[in-house]
Amino acid sequence: MTLEELKDLQEKARKRRQGYEKVILVCTGSACAARGSSDLEDRLEGELIKRDLSSDCLVVAGGCLGLCSEGPLLLIQPDGILYTRVAEDDLRDIISQHLQDGKPVERLMYRSGEKICPRMEDIAFFGRQQPVVLENRTFSNPESLDDYLAAGGYRALARALADMSREEVADAVAASGLRGRGGQDVPTGMKWRRCHEAAGEAGEIPFIVCNADDSDPGGFKDARIVESDPHALLEGLLIGAYAIGAREGFVYIRGEYPLALKRLGRAIEQARDRNLLGENILQTGFSFDVLVRRGAGAFVCGESSALLAALAGLPPEAHDLYVDPTERGFRGRPTVINNVETLANVPRILDRGPDWFASIGAGEVSGDSVSGSTGTRVLGVSGDAANTGLVEVPMGTRLRELVFDVAGGAAGNAGLKAVQVGGPTGAVLPESGLDIELEADALAGAGVSLGSGMVTVMDRDTCMVRYARYCTDLLLEESCGKCAPCREGLAAMSAILGRITGGAGSTEDLGLLEELGSTMSECSICGLGRRAAVPVLSTMRSFPEEYAAHIDEGRCPAGQCTELIRFEIEEGKCTGCTACAEVCPTDAISGEPGETHVIDDQACIRCGMCRDVCRFDAVEVR
Amino acid sequence: MARRTMCKVEIDGREVEVPRGATVMEAARRAGIGIPALCSEELAEPYGACRLCMVDADDGGGRRLVAACTFPVRGDMKVETSSERAVSHRRMVTEMLLARWPEAEALLELARSQGLEAPRFENPREDRSPHPCILCGLCVNVCRDLVGRSAIHFSGRGAHRKLELPAAGDDICTGCGVCVAVCPTGALALRNDPNNPHDGETVRRAGMEITREIARSRGRQSRLREAGTVHLAGSMNRSGRLPVMNHRMGSHEDAAGISADAFEGKFDAGMPDDCWLGCTLSCRKGVSGFMPKTGPYKGDEVLVEGPDYRAAAGAANMGVFDPEFVMEYSFYCTTYAIDVISFSASAAFAMECFEEGILDAESTGGMELHFGDADAALDLLHATAGSRGFGRIAGKGIRFMKFYFEEHYGADPAFLDDIGMECRGLEYPQCCTAESPALQAACGAASGGYLQDGDWPLMAGLGEEAGQDPEALAQAVHSSQLWASWFGLAGLCALPWTSMDPERAPERVESYSSLFEAVTGREVSPVDLLKMSERVHNFRRVFDLRMGHGTREEDRVPYRAQGPATESEYESRSDRYDRQLKDEAGIDPAGMSTAERLAALRKHREELYSDLLSALYRLRGWNGKGEPTAGKLIRLGIDFPEVLDVVKPGG
Repeated sequence: MTLEELKDLQEKARKRRQGYEKVILVCTGSACAARGSSDLEDRLEGELIKRDLSSDCLVVAGGCLGLCSEGPLLLIQPDGILYTRVAEDDLRDIISQHLQDGKPVERLMYRSGEKICPRMEDIAFFGRQQPVVLENRTFSNPESLDDYLAAGGYRALARALADMSREEVADAVAASGLRGRGGQDVPTGMKWRRCHEAAGEAGEIPFIVCNADDSDPGGFKDARIVESDPHALLEGLLIGAYAIGAREGFVYIRGEYPLALKRLGRAIEQARDRNLLGENILQTGFSFDVLVRRGAGAFVCGESSALLAALAGLPPEAHDLYVDPTERGFRGRPTVINNVETLANVPRILDRGPDWFASIGAGEVSGDSVSGSTGTRVLGVSGDAANTGLVEVPMGTRLRELVFDVAGGAAGNAGLKAVQVGGPTGAVLPESGLDIELEADALAGAGVSLGSGMVTVMDRDTCMVRYARYCTDLLLEESCGKCAPCREGLAAMSAILGRITGGAGSTEDLGLLEELGSTMSECSICGLGRRAAVPVLSTMRSFPEEYAAHIDEGRCPAGQCTELIRFEIEEGKCTGCTACAEVCPTDAISGEPGETHVIDDQACIRCGMCRDVCRFDAVEVR
Repeated sequence: MARRTMCKVEIDGREVEVPRGATVMEAARRAGIGIPALCSEELAEPYGACRLCMVDADDGGGRRLVAACTFPVRGDMKVETSSERAVSHRRMVTEMLLARWPEAEALLELARSQGLEAPRFENPREDRSPHPCILCGLCVNVCRDLVGRSAIHFSGRGAHRKLELPAAGDDICTGCGVCVAVCPTGALALRNDPNNPHDGETVRRAGMEITREIARSRGRQSRLREAGTVHLAGSMNRSGRLPVMNHRMGSHEDAAGISADAFEGKFDAGMPDDCWLGCTLSCRKGVSGFMPKTGPYKGDEVLVEGPDYRAAAGAANMGVFDPEFVMEYSFYCTTYAIDVISFSASAAFAMECFEEGILDAESTGGMELHFGDADAALDLLHATAGSRGFGRIAGKGIRFMKFYFEEHYGADPAFLDDIGMECRGLEYPQCCTAESPALQAACGAASGGYLQDGDWPLMAGLGEEAGQDPEALAQAVHSSQLWASWFGLAGLCALPWTSMDPERAPERVESYSSLFEAVTGREVSPVDLLKMSERVHNFRRVFDLRMGHGTREEDRVPYRAQGPATESEYESRSDRYDRQLKDEAGIDPAGMSTAERLAALRKHREELYSDLLSALYRLRGWNGKGEPTAGKLIRLGIDFPEVLDVVKPGG
């Protein structure tokens, strides 16, 4: 395919899409798919054919729309109407009322309190978002190259190959202020330039690697980006390869992302078929191909050094990276490692220009230096938030706005207590610490790293000590176990935290945790170990009274630490409905129907099921 | 090629220079400063797991804590090994390890050295074994990097990390025991003995001692691991033992061209080698993708085995100092099955005869056999292999050439005897012995071939302390020859050692006798081992005698092997020879002509050699003619009638 032929193809694809009156986007992201969205898609197609609407209405199996907690989601374009929690039975109404009669179905719209929000932008969750990386989520089918082309895909690559030198490409990315989204915040253009120069000096052909395993076990941000727009990642990778002079690249992706793997594989096939990958791409003399390497599901593989080891077929262990991979990386050659989100930004930067990108967010670019962060940030919101899912906000958005306006604060009545930013190695911030801008320098100043891009919201029923221990145990499982401070430090921390949540802690334990944490952060090999103590240290700093309550009073204020709590049924509130006695797994609750029930503390295992089923709020935690 | 820039590293106030790319740990070793570490072993690749070696370093980017074992020196830098934070973190890491393995002696010792009594916290996975695996990874790394087997690995992540050993009967593990040797806690032991030795436990212990000594004391220093035996060419040159231009000299200013540095980056095959898998020296090397410039394989990509020191020294002996030649020469010798030593000795002799005008282009069939002419040397090699023209004559060896040149070209037989580097018809080894009476005797009075490859290092420093004393020199030669033969008999390599002197290395000698004892079940002392060699030496001598050889006359060496054979040779280094004349023979050369000096030095050296030979015969229990006595044969238990018949007077 030549550059001209690519232009033709883009034009044709756009025309084809314009031929439809309505486009119904069914979200097929992992969360919606899990709730049966692909059945919806099949059914919808069938119904449209049955009603002879298939030439006017196009069904698109789209990427993740982001509001995962409200799925399955359906978006009707060009109206922009979003339907939530759509079931198969709802399709009939959508077709007959909305598509045929032009009357959107109110009952399927998102509600914020009493307010009905018909369009995406009416919903607070989307209101503050600014999609750049996720811009195709309201338009294309991630498995369709045509859709990507119709959305202007591969225009940036064509421009780079046809009109720009390698140096100009790196310069443009540098001028956009784009900094790596993998946690190190390194300006991407500079990294590319450095690698290109190192390769030139060494007379070697460099490699480019996309880290698509840059995530903790619960993290999903990068997987969703790959699922939603695999060609954007591929195009970014191609542009990066061109800028550094690589001929071979890798996408290291976690094996447990089946949908992302499938879609990436398909995108690569499509790109190869169209000569967007392989020899003499678009007949410009540039050759590049990419191999997908499946990770074996170790959290630590997201860490550059362990990733390089795994890529080389060695055990996925961290090692000291005192020499930057851009100088000596995979197979000893200069290697650029870029995160998924970083690469997905690249085509947009080249397409719309560095100045456009730099104008988004909260960063200043002058010459080669960047302060703050330009562009947007894709984040995964999870935990007790009212709205969980995938969001993309401009850099510089306040964490408070993200948590309360976008994520809707904590669900239920308990109220928000804390937010952990950056996955299980992230800092746990109290509500009072949320006035911080999401932007590299401000975050670094506050000792916070966005890391895997996960934001976990916790409500008031969450015990901070217990949560710190949960993170510690999780990291102990995920650590590669190579270096002593990370492996043994986490084990020691877990033991000490266990003592505290069990009511046997002492004030000295707090000092020990500080000491352990300090050594872990100073001496561990990789980022995982160096940040492994952050949850413990940050909760100790922000919630000292909660640690004190466990240690000094033997009390768990959040009522979660089973060794420290007792369940009691309050007389007067209990109606004797027997619901609690029925669910109690150890038959610890006795009482005649209609009379106040009693819990036998000896038999009680503090599972809390009685409390959950009580409709009268009669089960108290003491 | 690696940049060989040197960097200055200041460690705890002491300054050392190390090549760029060396680690801080290596710099500290060079400065004689110890940094605590559990996972760092000189011969294993840096690993960086134990984090005890964290030091404060500043390479221009501000002070920071780095792991000394993995941090590369890339410019001048300052290191503090015992800054407050380095010490406190090291202590904490020790405490973490101790909490998990509170009974491990290696950890207790480490803790005590830091004034740490007991850990202040518990570890849920506490293991109270006194010999626990502390996950340092040394065994995994030496097995992969040194032995090349990867028979041991880690499994599990985080808290579940554990060592996976090869299953019984899994042949990926050869039982070499290097892992056991490096294990700091004694957690590893060898089981199963495929060779069914008499006492497996002792075999392993003795083997371990030897392995440990090889791994710890040698290897990097001698560069055998990096460059194989070719590195010996450089040290031979430094000690004046490199044969240059038919042994005229013992060193040459161009010798760098055939020393280890000249081959740097060329070796890519054979490491770790397929010799003994547990050997940390791995001296066998190979160069793949080499393209010969001559001969039947011209222009093809071939694999060169080695080249080893014989090819390098052989090249020097022909006056060629070019690594490309050494590789091509080595390749064709291997391909033609021509002995590298014999050919280069013969070629060097022919070259000298050409230079001296005994041969000319006509007699060589057009070959201009000048010293240093690599093309001519290769022409002669190809002609010899093809048995063509002059190659047919050279291929028959020096002794034949001597007769032939005398008969056909009227050469002076005495001169040919002096410079024809053969002894008993066998070409002289590629070692310049002129400065070492002991080495002369080791070659001249060898019972079989001369120095074996593996024996060379054992002989290297031979008799240095004995000076000019024939008895002491004979003692050194005797002991070395017996050890060298014993290594050969036992099928072992002597390459790791430069000394088997019981006084210098009693444990080493002891290790070998207990190894022998444990394998065979025969109780032996070091003396018994040497007796085995003696039997072989005597038996061979008796055999030679029965075949009409083995006389004292045949134990002489060509005079070139003892000193300057010609006036011009003497004059080229008259300062040295004058001094030697004075120091060794007590003759003041003042007022003497060159011919007189030459004769005086020769007389002295031949006399010393003769005395040395007599002393050596006495030590061997032989008579002055170099014949074993019946009493000796009886004492050695090889007094079979037909053996005794040979040595009986009139027998």
